[in-house]
Amino acid sequence: MASGFKRKGHRFVAQLDGAEREVVVELLLQTHAFLAPVHRQTTGDPFDDLVATLGLPALADSEADAAQVPRDPAMERLLPAGHHDDPAMAAEFRRLTQHGLRERKTANLAAAIAAVMAADGDKVRLDQEQAQAMVVALTDVRLLLGERLGLRTDDDADALQDRLESADEDDAAEDDPQLYLAAYYDFMTWLQESLTQALMS
Amino acid sequence: MSRWAAYGGAVSIAPAELSRTDIAEDLSVDRPWITLVWNDPVNLMSYVTYVFQTYFGYSREKAERLMLDVHQKGRAVVSNGPREKMEIDTEALQGYGLWATFQKDD
Repeated sequence: MASGFKRKGHRFVAQLDGAEREVVVELLLQTHAFLAPVHRQTTGDPFDDLVATLGLPALADSEADAAQVPRDPAMERLLPAGHHDDPAMAAEFRRLTQHGLRERKTANLAAAIAAVMAADGDKVRLDQEQAQAMVVALTDVRLLLGERLGLRTDDDADALQDRLESADEDDAAEDDPQLYLAAYYDFMTWLQESLTQALMS
Repeated sequence: MSRWAAYGGAVSIAPAELSRTDIAEDLSVDRPWITLVWNDPVNLMSYVTYVFQTYFGYSREKAERLMLDVHQKGRAVVSNGPREKMEIDTEALQGYGLWATFQKDD
């Protein structure tokens, strides 16, 4: 049985079995691949190169295109317009910040992946810096999953929760791929809530 | 956005607990630009509070009040000052995964 993050002295410790850690790492990897700046050449690091080939979004990232609004709605959620109703100002802000934001988010995600992969048995132990990277990385994972699940309003989120609860009694639900995503989303939410509470305690 | 509207909700603070800095901020006439955070269905209420405390160094009470404003009113002004600073705040909050924007205060 998984147990969420708890503060133990200067560390944050969760208990996750192999299958649970695999899900967490896979979702972190997918989000890392989604956000990694796409013009990156081979890095010389086989792990980074492998990650860079996973699930790349259809997004041009050249200097000329950086100011354009990203076409994938999930990218729009992860890197939103910086100005609500002035497209020119939003484009300028995006041009100045997009690359750095993507680099910092992917660095966070990479730190979180490394921390989960370094688990000692079923215990995932984070120091303060790793915990701060993890809680942000889990946010980006949930933003990506949430967009794929069509969560646009608080009512959508409530409806998803209802659907997950009723799915337990509905055998047909097992064939619904959206429900798998929803279950992952729910798991990430639970994990992030535990880490946030531990960080604030 | 009004701080007073948070009264009667889950968070209520006595006026005596308002810090000198809070009042100075609110009375300042030189606040041409603002940073806004908009409600979204994904970010956790606890996490939004954590970000306001961690990034701005706001007290738990102030961070929760702003979080509730975002949640209940759809958005909240989380900082104000020169445009360059608001762009830095917006970028930082987007780094945390919050839906942040900056604009001229009107």
